[in-house]
Amino acid sequence: MLAIALVLAGAVWAKLAYWQVAKRGQLAAAAQQQYREYVPLPAIRGAIFDRNLTQLVVNTAVYSAFVSPDQISAGERDRVAGGLSSVLGVDKASVLATLSSRAKFAYIARRFSKAKADQLRALKLPGVGLLDETQRSYLPGATAGTTLAADLLGFANWDGNGQAGVEMKYQKSLAGTPGYISSYRDLANNEIVLGSHTHTDPVNGQDLVLSLDANVQYAAEQALADGIKKDNAESGSVLIMDPSTGGIVAWADYPSYNANDFNHTDPALFKDNVVSYLYEPGSVMKVVTLSGAINQGVIAPNTVINDPGVLSVGGYRIYDWDHANHGNIDYTYVLAHSLNVGAMKAMLAEGHDAFYKNLQAFGLTQPSGIDVAGESFVAPPSASQMADSQYATTSFGQGIDVNMVQMLAAVNVVANGGKYAPPHVVDRVGTQINPVLLQPQRQVVSPQTAAQMTAMMEQVVQKGSGSLARVPGFAKDETGKTGSSQIPVNGQYTSDVWTSYVGFLPAQHPRFTMLVVVRKPHYPGSDRDWTLNDGYLTAAPIWKTIAQNIVVSWHITPDPG
Amino acid sequence: MFGHAYLGVGAVVVCLLFYLAIAAQITQASYDISRLQDQQRQLLAEQDQLRYQEVTQHAPAQVQQQAAQSGMQRVVPSSYVQGQQVAVDLTAPVGASAADATPLWQRAVAAVLNQVAGTRDVMASTKK
Repeated sequence: MLAIALVLAGAVWAKLAYWQVAKRGQLAAAAQQQYREYVPLPAIRGAIFDRNLTQLVVNTAVYSAFVSPDQISAGERDRVAGGLSSVLGVDKASVLATLSSRAKFAYIARRFSKAKADQLRALKLPGVGLLDETQRSYLPGATAGTTLAADLLGFANWDGNGQAGVEMKYQKSLAGTPGYISSYRDLANNEIVLGSHTHTDPVNGQDLVLSLDANVQYAAEQALADGIKKDNAESGSVLIMDPSTGGIVAWADYPSYNANDFNHTDPALFKDNVVSYLYEPGSVMKVVTLSGAINQGVIAPNTVINDPGVLSVGGYRIYDWDHANHGNIDYTYVLAHSLNVGAMKAMLAEGHDAFYKNLQAFGLTQPSGIDVAGESFVAPPSASQMADSQYATTSFGQGIDVNMVQMLAAVNVVANGGKYAPPHVVDRVGTQINPVLLQPQRQVVSPQTAAQMTAMMEQVVQKGSGSLARVPGFAKDETGKTGSSQIPVNGQYTSDVWTSYVGFLPAQHPRFTMLVVVRKPHYPGSDRDWTLNDGYLTAAPIWKTIAQNIVVSWHITPDPG
Repeated sequence: MFGHAYLGVGAVVVCLLFYLAIAAQITQASYDISRLQDQQRQLLAEQDQLRYQEVTQHAPAQVQQQAAQSGMQRVVPSSYVQGQQVAVDLTAPVGASAADATPLWQRAVAAVLNQVAGTRDVMASTKK
C-alpha cells in the first residue's frame, strides 16, 4: 500500500518537476505572451522640400474599415451594412454576406480618406472598427494623372519603403527608427499602468531639402509634355542644373505617372528615363571633343580646316549630316553647323589617348554618382580596345552610351569655368549639408578653354543650329548645341532618332544649364524627310519655352555689354 | 478581544476601500489616457490633412489653374533695345567749363531768369 502511495506521489512529483523545471521557460514565455503587450511606435517619415522650402511630399493619414461579424447581432446587420455602403460606396449585399459569415474579422475597405473615416465614426456602428495608417501624398503635376517630379522623387509603398528615386536612395534617412512600448494588460485588455514598462521613443526620419525648384519643375513638365505631343515623339526628358553647384533644378520625364496611385500604375512608367536610360548623345558630344582639343592646344576656335563633307577612318567613310563639301572652315563654324568631319579632325589632332583621357575627365567613362536610385551606366571599352572607327564616331556622339545626367554634367563643365560640378539632388539631409557641396571641384579644362567654348556655343545660337532656342532678350547672350543620333536596334542603326539640345544662359554668368532629350520624334513632314527629326526642330523649342519661364521666374537679366 | 478583532477588520476594510478607490481612479486615468491618445492621433491626422491641403493650394499646378481662371497670362521676356551713343558728354566736368566763353552779363541774366544761352553744362544743370 505504502509502495503504491509512493509510486503515485512520485509520479505526481515527477510531473510537477517536468512542468515547473523542464518546461519552465516555455510556460513563462506563453504566459508573457498573454499579458505582455508590445506596441510599436512608428517613426514619422521625413518630409521633402524644394530649394524654396516648398513641401513636395506630405505624410497623410488614411483609414481602413474592418468588421467583427461575431459582435453584430442579426437584427443590426442591415443597419451596419447600409451605413458602410453609403459612406464607403461598397456593395451592400457583399457586406451583408460578410456579416452573416460569423467570421471574427474582415476588411470592408482599405486606405480611404479621413473625411470618410469621420463620417463612419459618427454613425457609431457596432462591430465596425477603423485602422489608421500613414501614406505619402505628392503634389499634382503639370499633366493630368501625374504628380510633380514623380520620376525624381519616386514613391514610398504602403509599408513605408522607398521604391524609386529619392525616396529609395534616401530610405534610411527618411524612414528614421521606430520605437516601441512594452507593458502589461489585464484580463479585460486594459493596460496595467503600475506594471513594468519598457519604452523606447521613435527617432523620426530626417527632412530632405532638394536643389529642385518646384516652379521650374512644373514649367519643365508642362513644356516637355506640349513639345513631345507636337513632335509626335515616344517620350522625352528635361534636366536642368545649377552650373556652379551641380544641384538639379528640374528633372522631368514624359510620360510620367501618379505617385499617389502607384499601385494602379503601369510598372514600365516607373523607369526613370533621365538616369536609367542610356542613349547616344549625338552632336552635343562635340562640345566635349572640341573643348578637349582646345585645352590640349592642338586646335583653336579660329583654326582653319578643310571639310570635304566626308572622312575615311578605319575603313569606313563617315559623312557630315548634309553630305556637303564645306571647303575651308574654322572650328567655330564646325560647332555652329554641327559638322562631323570637323569633330573627327579635332579628335585626330588630339590623338586617341588624349581624347580618351578627355572623356574620362568630363565624367563620361564612369557613373555620375547622382543621389537618385537606379542610375544606369555602361562602361565604354578601354582606350586600347576602341577601334579607330569608334574613336571617330565617339567624337561626334555616336557609338558611346551615356545617361542624361552624365551628359549634362559634362557640358556644364564649360558653363562652370572648366570645373566639374558633381551632380546632386539633395542639398541638405536634416541640418547636414550634402558633403558633395563641400568638396573642391575638379578642374577639367582651363577657364580660358571654357571661355572659348562658351563663345563658340554662342555662335551656335546666333548663326547656327540653335536659332530656334533664342530667348527674347538673350539672343546674343545664350549658348547652345543641338544633337541628333540614330537609334541602334540589334546592331543596326534605324531611322528612329534621339534628338537633343543643351545650353546655358546667360552665357558669361550662367544661372542654369539645361539638356532636353526627345526620343523617337516624328516631326510633321518627317515621313518624307526623316532629317526633320532633328534637335534643331524638336528639342530646341522645348528648351526655349522652359528657358523663358526660368528667366521670368528667377528675374534673370542679360549680361551687360 | 472582540474589540481588537473589530478594529482589525475595520482597518482591513478601510484599506480595501482605499485600494479600490485608488484602483478605480487609476482605471479611470487609464481610460482618459487612451481617449486622449486617440484624440491626439485624430488631431495629428487632421493637421497633416490640412498641411497637405495648404501645400496643394500653393502647388504650381493649383496656382496656374487659378491664374488661368482669373484670365492671367505669363509674360514673355521682352526683347531689349540695343544701346545707342548718348548725346550728353558724361565725362565732361560738372559746372561751367574753363573754356566757357559766355559773357558775364549773360550768365548773370541766366542766373536771375533761369534762361539758357550757354554751354551744354549749363543746359544740363538748368534743365527741369
